Amino acid sequence: MALEDFRAEAERCSHCSYCSWVPFDLIKSRRFSKGCPSIGYSNFQSYSARGRYALALALLEGAVSYNQRVRDIVFQCQTCGSCDVACKVCRYNLEPLEMILELRARLVRDGQAPPQYEPYIKGLRESGNLLLQPRERRGDWADGLPVKRAPEQSFDVLFHAGCRFSYDENQQHIARTAVSLLNLAGISVGILGSAETCCGGRAYSMGYRDEFAACAEKNIAAWQKLGIKTVVTSCADGYHAFKRLYPRLGSKVEVLHTVEVLDKLLQSGGLKPTKRVSLRVTYHDPCRLGRLGEPYIPWSGKEKKIFNQIVVYDPPKPRYNGSGGVYDPPRSILKSIPGIELVEMERIREAAWSCGAGAGVRECFPDFADWTAGERLEEVKSTGAQAVVTACGWCERNFLDAIDRRREKIQVFDVAEIVQKAL
Amino acid sequence: MAFTKEIYRILEDIVGPRNISDDAAVLVAYQFPLSVTSIHLGPFYRARTPRPAAVLLPGSAEEVRKIVVVCNRHKIKYKAASTFWGAMGFPSHDDVIQLDMHRMDRILDIDRKNMFAVIEPGVTGANLQAEAMKVGLNTHIIGAGASCSPLASATSYAGAGPDTVFMGSSGENLLAAEWVLPNGDLVTTGSLGAGSGWFCGEGPGPGIGGLIRGNFAARGAMGVFTKCALKLYPWPGPPLLPVEGTVPAYKTLLPDNFKAYTLAFPSWQAWADCTHKIWDAGIGYIAHRQFNMFGRDLKFAMIKILSDPGKNLSDLEALSKDPEIRRINESMKREFQLVLAGMTPNDMKWQEEALDEILAETGGFKVNAMSDPEIARWVLAFLIRLGHKNTNLVYAGGYEGCFGTFGPPDYGASLVEKTSEFKKGWEKKGSIVEAGGDCTMGGLGGMGGGAYMMWENFTSWDPHDRDSVEGAFEFFENTHRFAQENKLGTGMERSNALCRGNDGKEIPGEIREEALADSPQSHVFRYQHKIRKALNPNDLGDAYYVTLEGEK
Repeated sequence: MALEDFRAEAERCSHCSYCSWVPFDLIKSRRFSKGCPSIGYSNFQSYSARGRYALALALLEGAVSYNQRVRDIVFQCQTCGSCDVACKVCRYNLEPLEMILELRARLVRDGQAPPQYEPYIKGLRESGNLLLQPRERRGDWADGLPVKRAPEQSFDVLFHAGCRFSYDENQQHIARTAVSLLNLAGISVGILGSAETCCGGRAYSMGYRDEFAACAEKNIAAWQKLGIKTVVTSCADGYHAFKRLYPRLGSKVEVLHTVEVLDKLLQSGGLKPTKRVSLRVTYHDPCRLGRLGEPYIPWSGKEKKIFNQIVVYDPPKPRYNGSGGVYDPPRSILKSIPGIELVEMERIREAAWSCGAGAGVRECFPDFADWTAGERLEEVKSTGAQAVVTACGWCERNFLDAIDRRREKIQVFDVAEIVQKAL
Repeated sequence: MAFTKEIYRILEDIVGPRNISDDAAVLVAYQFPLSVTSIHLGPFYRARTPRPAAVLLPGSAEEVRKIVVVCNRHKIKYKAASTFWGAMGFPSHDDVIQLDMHRMDRILDIDRKNMFAVIEPGVTGANLQAEAMKVGLNTHIIGAGASCSPLASATSYAGAGPDTVFMGSSGENLLAAEWVLPNGDLVTTGSLGAGSGWFCGEGPGPGIGGLIRGNFAARGAMGVFTKCALKLYPWPGPPLLPVEGTVPAYKTLLPDNFKAYTLAFPSWQAWADCTHKIWDAGIGYIAHRQFNMFGRDLKFAMIKILSDPGKNLSDLEALSKDPEIRRINESMKREFQLVLAGMTPNDMKWQEEALDEILAETGGFKVNAMSDPEIARWVLAFLIRLGHKNTNLVYAGGYEGCFGTFGPPDYGASLVEKTSEFKKGWEKKGSIVEAGGDCTMGGLGGMGGGAYMMWENFTSWDPHDRDSVEGAFEFFENTHRFAQENKLGTGMERSNALCRGNDGKEIPGEIREEALADSPQSHVFRYQHKIRKALNPNDLGDAYYVTLEGEK
């Protein structure tokens, strides 16, 4: 699609502002009622999906020219999809998140990407990762682990570590833990090591379509060559990319997040918790595992009108509204661990507040990323939890940094770490 | 006066550089599309309200006061809006400063004992309700829904809604207020003006409710309200609205002292009789003809879609042909929704019995399909929180009410078939959604103990489609003609056409003179002119505070 294809939507947006809030039925307090971090931080209506529809239209009409403010409005957003969920409480013919992603792609194509992105995208092109690290070190995190490595060994189930868990020394243990748990349960997984490439999902959300496609094609080709049937990842970004974006490019592998596998293992007795983990925790739904984690459904069709002016699609268009995200497996895991007390925050599941790191915000707008994480930490604290547990390396990193800056005492765990503590 | 860089700098000093912008990329978000729902004028294809000269995000009453003083000094018009739901919150002239009150969003107090809240403009209905429920209270939420500002509605607009039968309308709930007058003076009204707190709107301090609200409220044209107190009402439910399900089919499972019924009747007279009897009996927490907004022929299919996350708007065609759904639509042709909320078990029992008696007397009945637990719980969530209200726009994005009227239920009910038949004829032409002619909806009022309600017949169109927008406009023009010919009065779909025209800008005073000079009690508008002149000497507002100049 092109930005021009969103003109109709931009003209059909009624500017109601629902996109700024969590779905109203789910509001439990004034303090935690906001859904969109972007307008929450900047306050101008322009920084909501509604404002971005207006901006898209103005750009299409030539009523606004590119400048720093345009770039801020377009890129100061985690593309977390909160707006999309809230809009779809009432609307069936708007796709605000798709529009925002298209707007970004347009700016990137027109050379209007924030300069802060440049080193990361250069690193992605040259080294296949977003952490400015050498490609050859990508598999180092697994050194010493009894794990198969391609191309020397063959396997059906691939563990994709992702950029964060591959390179961040404070987070590599999470990937090691995940693989160890799978091994313990008798699931033999392999890795691509230095041949693994970034999923490209983050590049896609930043607006770099070509770079995303290059990553995807590389990974898909590698998987096909190795005969991979299932890809397991602990990275929510990777999960979203593989589950939702890759099928558009022909990927047919089964995609599972670690939490889905661990949940099944705990339910089936493949893993048996034996130790008590006395911890009061709350769970943070990563955007790309939760509301954006719905599986891809192929669709090709066109708009049509029924009853004169009701806008629908022929054939019916899949509706991504967050209702089918991965919400229950991580909660089920936590509830199955003796001693864990799960206390929920107010904004959960499809209404979860973003961690702040997504879509290049951490790299380009660090203050905004930190503010967003800080808001979530306030919500964590309001539950009385000792720890926030999540299932995404980017969320974990952003929370850890925000906690450091605030000198908070909240602990951050990946779901896999909690499981390991119980074994 | 033109807005200059120098004025910008002065304003920037007041609110800080983060809270002001004159960048076009920001300003375009403050231009409301008049092709969508212009709130009682238009629609006009691809027209928008004028682009403001700058947008400011004040953070306190003192900042607002300083801004208004600067505006007076430089003769710059300003327009404040809180939650930006409709066109009336946006400028209607060039070179206007838009005040976005979004940052002033605190709930300053909820006085449980005296049952009122003190709020700022950016507080939404949903936020206030969520906080009030924690202490066993509830707030009136206007028909436009939970996203809207209760302060804006109470101080500056009409503010009726589904719960008006129990909680009144916004204007009736206004207690003391803090008001930055159009000239920059800061006034505290009612008891607050006498240093006695927020509990009363009409004294012991200055009781100036009439000045504040005028004939139909000032809608942002007479200064800026920065705080107000609102009456709250009993909430006999849990402190957190217990919501289950997933988007968009959120449902609430409340205790047995809550019941949501859809009541249907064999005739419109029976319908109206029932509303009178409900008022006489003093029962009901929410009473609203809500879901008929989807149309007589489509409403139950839409309810099935909206209450099931697995369904899509594309299912509408097939569902509407389902014989069982058609039968249900036919059975509830003349219906409204009633929510009972018992304050005690005995109260609930009494309300249930009273309702059954009323239904027996009027020949009405409870629609079984709407009492299905899954649907009834969805209805309860919808009507209590009113957070799905933008399903007004579900079809294609453009909607407006026609044949809007305030009056006794007998009067409105007597017109439904006639006006719906007229609309049905226009639906056949293709520009507006074909929904069965009757998309009439509205709430049972509470004024004076009842016998009063608001009606409007929703009309939907596609704002992206020129033919649809222009056809909808032609339709509204003809509803006006039809209403005049049949002596039905001027519908609300025309009311703001006296405030702005098809370019989004204020229309000349001569047109208001022509339209209103011979209207009943037109001297009200002339008196308002005197008030406006006294309080707003530099004429820094717009025509939403409707006035007529001179004597007649």
